Amino acid sequence: MRLFVYILSKLASAFITMLGVSALVFVSLRFIPGGYADILLGPFVTPAAREVIERRYGLDQPLWVQFVHWLVSLLHGDFGVSMVTQQPVINEFLRRAPVTLELASLAMALALAIGLPLGVMAGSSPPGLRRDGFARVIGAIGAGVPDFVLGTTLILIFSVWSLWLRVGGYTPFTQDPILNLRTMLLPAITLAVFGGALILRTSRDAVLRVMTEGYITAAVARGERPIDIVRRHVLRNASIPVVTVVTTYFGFLMGGAVVAEVLFSIPGVGLYAYNGLQNRDYAIVETSVLLAAFVFVVVNTLADVLYAIIDPRVSVDATR
Amino acid sequence: MNIGSRFRGAIAASALVGSVIGVAFTAHAADKTLVWGKPAEITGFDVHVAGTVASWEMYQMVYETLLTADENLKVQPALAESWEQTSATSYVFKLRPGAKFSNGRPVTAADVAGSLQRIKNPETASYWSAQLGTIARIETPDDQTVKVELETPHPAFLPALAHVSAAILPIQELKAGEFNPAKEMLGSGPFMVKEHKQDESWSLARNPYYWGKSLPVADELEALIIPDDSARVAALRDGRIDFTTFENPDIAKMLSSAANIAVLPLKTTNYFRIDVNALSPKSAFIDRRVRQAMNLALDRDAINNLVFAGTTSVDYPVPAAFGKSACKATPSYALPRDQRLEKAKALLKEAGNEHPKVTLLATSSDPVFAMIAQVAQQSLADAGFDVQIQQPPMAEYLKRVFTDGDFDLAISWLAGYTDPSMVIAWWNPKFALWNQAFQQDVPALDNVLDQIKTMQDGPDRDAKLDEACKLIEDGANVLALVSKVDYVAYRSDRVKLKLPARSGSSNTFQYVAEFEPRH
Repeated sequence: MRLFVYILSKLASAFITMLGVSALVFVSLRFIPGGYADILLGPFVTPAAREVIERRYGLDQPLWVQFVHWLVSLLHGDFGVSMVTQQPVINEFLRRAPVTLELASLAMALALAIGLPLGVMAGSSPPGLRRDGFARVIGAIGAGVPDFVLGTTLILIFSVWSLWLRVGGYTPFTQDPILNLRTMLLPAITLAVFGGALILRTSRDAVLRVMTEGYITAAVARGERPIDIVRRHVLRNASIPVVTVVTTYFGFLMGGAVVAEVLFSIPGVGLYAYNGLQNRDYAIVETSVLLAAFVFVVVNTLADVLYAIIDPRVSVDATR
Repeated sequence: MNIGSRFRGAIAASALVGSVIGVAFTAHAADKTLVWGKPAEITGFDVHVAGTVASWEMYQMVYETLLTADENLKVQPALAESWEQTSATSYVFKLRPGAKFSNGRPVTAADVAGSLQRIKNPETASYWSAQLGTIARIETPDDQTVKVELETPHPAFLPALAHVSAAILPIQELKAGEFNPAKEMLGSGPFMVKEHKQDESWSLARNPYYWGKSLPVADELEALIIPDDSARVAALRDGRIDFTTFENPDIAKMLSSAANIAVLPLKTTNYFRIDVNALSPKSAFIDRRVRQAMNLALDRDAINNLVFAGTTSVDYPVPAAFGKSACKATPSYALPRDQRLEKAKALLKEAGNEHPKVTLLATSSDPVFAMIAQVAQQSLADAGFDVQIQQPPMAEYLKRVFTDGDFDLAISWLAGYTDPSMVIAWWNPKFALWNQAFQQDVPALDNVLDQIKTMQDGPDRDAKLDEACKLIEDGANVLALVSKVDYVAYRSDRVKLKLPARSGSSNTFQYVAEFEPRH
């Protein structure tokens, strides 16, 4: 019951946060140079034509009128229509969400598969060993390479030497799982490198901290095998900061892995939002920010619940 | 077993074999799908409004115009099977019998009249209205005949009807509220839209009512939206797409050695241009001498050689593709570079601004613009210009140049269309209203351009074109650079293309109905 009330209060405050963020984005968008009339008419935009287009799409109204209209529509579940297609944007988001979810999950799986074992290994290694140094270098490189540089490099390499992987395009998993994997691996790798580095460094630091605890010394004194010490004592106690990083990172991925989706033409939420911004298609950008904020809140709430499960000493009250 | 049962058995076996072959044949025959790698998504559905090539090239799959242009840039029949010019201002069009929209309804004179009226209606906000001239009245004596009376002679009227922005819409359905051109496409062209996933793909099916005999050859056309050049290269190589276009000549060069991939440079009447802000007091170019100096210092040959590896050519306000000599004798084209630089420096000295600091906008949406900008920057530096390149996103670039006039120089391109008088008309800001933020009005030039619009092609008009070129050179406000070549890349093992030797209406795929899938 307490958990239920906690979750409800979290969602209520999240709703207020989301509204505030959306209002900020709503106003900011209309101050960015250029509007949909410019995009539609191209270099043939005259003052009269602009007036016609803006009137057609309600953009000639005062800002506060546009905002109120948008807010009222939102409260009725109407997220607006795309100015390009005149179709409800929420339908597009729902169609694209599974693609971004798949990409995010694949990237997360890769990041965990690389970052967690390396981090635990580095953290539990005796000081001065090459394993620790190697892991730290990997982490530094992974955290330092921007995803757009990595993604572009991968495209340049694999567009010439395919090596079974495919650059660009998307085939739904249900249509052809193998082809889907071939297409999604490169963008997933692009996203996973930074995430893996983040998880590696966080888990290394967490494990290092736990290794200095008295109960670890006691376990060593009892003659427990290192693998058992790590499994029984280190992992669970070091997992809280790792959970924080993993859930935050997953929230970031779900919010729209924009760079990877744009580079590899993956039709997810991020690409839709990016194109919406380029086209000054306001409803798309406003909705994407709203949904991204919602995803972050949900993921963070789940993280709080997870803490309580991992460590019974942590109560939901303490995480407020 | 008796003969009768053997006979029956044979019949059954034959039927079975026949049905298998039939299914296989049907499956093979139905598998005539073209896959097009489209570099950009459309910016809107309304064919009479959108002013971008990304939109036009999709419209051309679905809509048709009254006329079209051949590779010699001469108008040819399309939805209008024939036409007659009964006076300098009167035209009678006879519609093609059997032409139908994809919903099965015949194209009628009312659709043509309604479409032209819609373009001319200011509430439509169609930029193409100006190119159609001033229409006094449109009559439809019968379903197959359209009479158009112009207020003044306008020889470019027929070529203007060949551009997709003058497409014929199903006006009956539009008026009945059954068709919204801002949300959907319904045309009489070879294909019709089956499905659209925004920013992702288009699925088009053959228009079962298309008037072209046995056309289109393909049953379906898939368009995959792939903006990234490298991703399109990869898609071509792995066979995911059959054909695409590139503007970047480096890509074309890279692909030319790939197996089964052919690259064809398609000549057009289009050209890259540089807009110069002649109106802003903040710009050094408010002084005509500085503009003239810039024009003299520009090295168009360097742009051709360094950006396009010599595959294009220097171009003029009157596109070279029309075979006219206009503009070629003006100093910025005729004089050797060293003499031009001397003149440029002298002009800057006379203007009291020997090292003007200027910005050059090249929108980030097209990498070729930045390449041209870099070469322009270097060539202008030889005369003393200090050029800073800025790369704003498209929406910002459009607003700064065409609304705010907040720039010094900007790289873009112009469509040359199918008549020399059409593109040059844009040098009159009273006609090209969108240029009013930066283009100076020169009454003498306006007069010459107005005269050109009323003249038929011939020596008299050529003389006027020369006169216009001298005035354009003098004002140095909008300048032509080099021809714009579209590189069409395709899998020769998967598709047989038919392309025009030259395109005048940004209609690269005007023969798409004859494209033949080979897989």
